[in-house]
Amino acid sequence: MNEPKQHKKRDIFIEGAIPASFIAESISKHATRTDIGAHEIFLGQVRADQVQMSPSDPVMVSTTNPFMVSPSNQGRVEAIEFTAYRDMANEQMTIIREEAFARWPQMTCLHVHHSQGIIKAGELCFMVFASAPHRQQAREAVAFVTDEVKKRLPIFGKEILSDSSHLWKQNT
Amino acid sequence: MRVLLFGIIAEKAGATELTVAAASTHALKHALEQRITGLNALRYALAVDRRIVHQDQPLTGAEELALLPPFAGG
Repeated sequence: MNEPKQHKKRDIFIEGAIPASFIAESISKHATRTDIGAHEIFLGQVRADQVQMSPSDPVMVSTTNPFMVSPSNQGRVEAIEFTAYRDMANEQMTIIREEAFARWPQMTCLHVHHSQGIIKAGELCFMVFASAPHRQQAREAVAFVTDEVKKRLPIFGKEILSDSSHLWKQNT
Repeated sequence: MRVLLFGIIAEKAGATELTVAAASTHALKHALEQRITGLNALRYALAVDRRIVHQDQPLTGAEELALLPPFAGG
């Protein structure tokens, strides 16, 4: 039972939104692992934020004219276009995964996926899925991995606004 | 040496990579701030071989270099 878990090189990125069917399939793939007693899943969804723009904000750019702010100085997020420094992000994910298995050695498995490309408001762009014999390890691991991915993975998000201007998302 | 650009930095540079000569990471940042208008007003990190570096360090030209604006995953 306690042989070291092998972590192969993985690519967490998928093109486009994460379909609900993908999540359902991920769950059903675990049916043969009867040592699992708990699944914990975090799903990130693109939110239609109302944004107020400051003309002096260097991350605010109009798509149509790079020197002009959005005509209305406000807009609603219609979609986020995600890009990534993919090799570094996957390497960082391997490190985070190893940290998570070191902290929660009882965890059975951990699956992380993130979207690339244009994801519309209301669509899913991020999934963290941990399974363990008991709920506490799965819960804690998902909370940890979700936070660390947001902090440490070089993923960039262009928020496309309703007036076709855009601004660059920054995690806080 | 080739420098990969991402997000708002790629947008400001109008390119996803640039070629710049520099002997150290500080010299590289200085050279890039001359080349990319507005870069000095942004918060960004420099990655050398896919690791973020804070201290000045020499560069041989063999490293994989990247400029990273604030992260926005999740």
